[in-house]
Amino acid sequence: MNSALWVSKTGLSAMDKQLNVVANNLANVSTTAFKKDRAVFEDLMYKTVRAPGGLSAQNAELPSGLQLGTGVKVGASQKDFSNGDYNMTDRQLDIAIQGKGFLQVLQPDGTIAYTRDGSLQLNSQGQLSTSGGLVVEPGIQIDPDVIEIMIAEDGIVSVRKNGDADAQQVGAINIAGFVNPTGLNSAGQNLFTETNASGPPQVGVPGTDSLGTIGQGMLEASNVNSIEELVNMITTQRAYEMNSKVIASADGMMSFAIQQL
Amino acid sequence: MDKALYLAMSGGVQTMNAQTIHANNLANVNTTGFRSDFEQARSMQVYGDYYPSRVYAMTENPATRYTQGDMIQTGRNLDVAVAGDGFIAVYDDSGQEAYTRAGDLQINAAGQLVTGRGLPVAGVDGPIFLPPVDSINITEDGSISIVPQGGANNEVAVLNQIKLVNPDKQNLRKEEDGLIHTRDGQPLDINPNVKLASGFIEGSNVNAVEEMTHIMNLARRFEMNVKMMDTIRNNADSSARILQRSS
Repeated sequence: MNSALWVSKTGLSAMDKQLNVVANNLANVSTTAFKKDRAVFEDLMYKTVRAPGGLSAQNAELPSGLQLGTGVKVGASQKDFSNGDYNMTDRQLDIAIQGKGFLQVLQPDGTIAYTRDGSLQLNSQGQLSTSGGLVVEPGIQIDPDVIEIMIAEDGIVSVRKNGDADAQQVGAINIAGFVNPTGLNSAGQNLFTETNASGPPQVGVPGTDSLGTIGQGMLEASNVNSIEELVNMITTQRAYEMNSKVIASADGMMSFAIQQL
Repeated sequence: MDKALYLAMSGGVQTMNAQTIHANNLANVNTTGFRSDFEQARSMQVYGDYYPSRVYAMTENPATRYTQGDMIQTGRNLDVAVAGDGFIAVYDDSGQEAYTRAGDLQINAAGQLVTGRGLPVAGVDGPIFLPPVDSINITEDGSISIVPQGGANNEVAVLNQIKLVNPDKQNLRKEEDGLIHTRDGQPLDINPNVKLASGFIEGSNVNAVEEMTHIMNLARRFEMNVKMMDTIRNNADSSARILQRSS
């Protein structure tokens, strides 16, 4: 069969994956602290039909060989961890991390997941948790008679109770950083989990070791640039169309041969 | 059987090879740093103890196009593009030095600087390993300056330099792994005149319209070969008919 058919097929499926990535980025353009993905294309291996430098006929050396490429693939999707915009919300429990760290949350199975979504809530037990219901680690208990919660830049959480003049410290939020955040596993629901590629988390006090500081009363927006994604969408669609044109052309060749012979 | 049938057939097969090369170029129209391949046909005469009447066509890819692709701004500080001529040196799967224009760099878990597909980037003296960093900046000459983790903004350290080369194109060849290698297998010397642009990646240098035109042209060429085979068959039919004993 004409190998151009298979080559263009790899082109179609790679463009399809890229469109998937673009669509997911665009769908999350309003997701708090969402980090956009980028599809990493790589060319597939080449098939050497005739090695360059071989002998052709009667002591004639081939100046160049024939190497047929076998197409393209999306080798990886790379997360871009650049910061999104910071939006003021003035809500006491909204926090944003200015820097590259992550909040730690406890998953139901007892393992730790990492998130930058700081739209925190209190659950029925008064524990600080994410809007997805996962408790922030280390756990911070807020009593029901608290009227004001203050989260400092270094993560210290202090509260003022009704009738008290002074605030008292009830806990501290730690931040985790990774050597290679791109290697984190995206678990959905704004959560990331540790992998071998990301390296172990380095947990510390916000503001130290460049983990980032905490800003209260603000949220980090998605870092998706919608214009950029739309342009990506157009180039992807055109590339897809051209690859399908090649399939049509290669198919035309085969069908012509079959009809004529 | 008439030899012409085999000649026409080889023409068709070689046309299909040529089309595969263009299809591969077109499939990589979005691949970072991809360099498109040329294709040409050459006449290959068959010699022997007979009249040398048979000349087969043979498709080959004589070279790779090294013109610059589009520069795409990403703003990511680990994305670098070679401005003008030159290549970034990386290590291939067997540890040999190879060359690429794909500068979508990353730092892996071991702290090593690798390309988007995971190949270690070559520095002036060996692979590049980085400590945990606050910020990283790659300058025009490939020098990597960092602010170490927890360091103040003015604590800039220059760590290593990406090996940039600018070889004679005649000495280059794209190999099966899609990377550019030297024909003589010798590693190249660093060239201080090659410049990097940080915050950009270089797109593919495939000219989509040109590739489409080639593909359509090749499709027609294939049809002509098939038509030739059809004509040869008709000739064979006719001569068979003439030679048939009429009853």
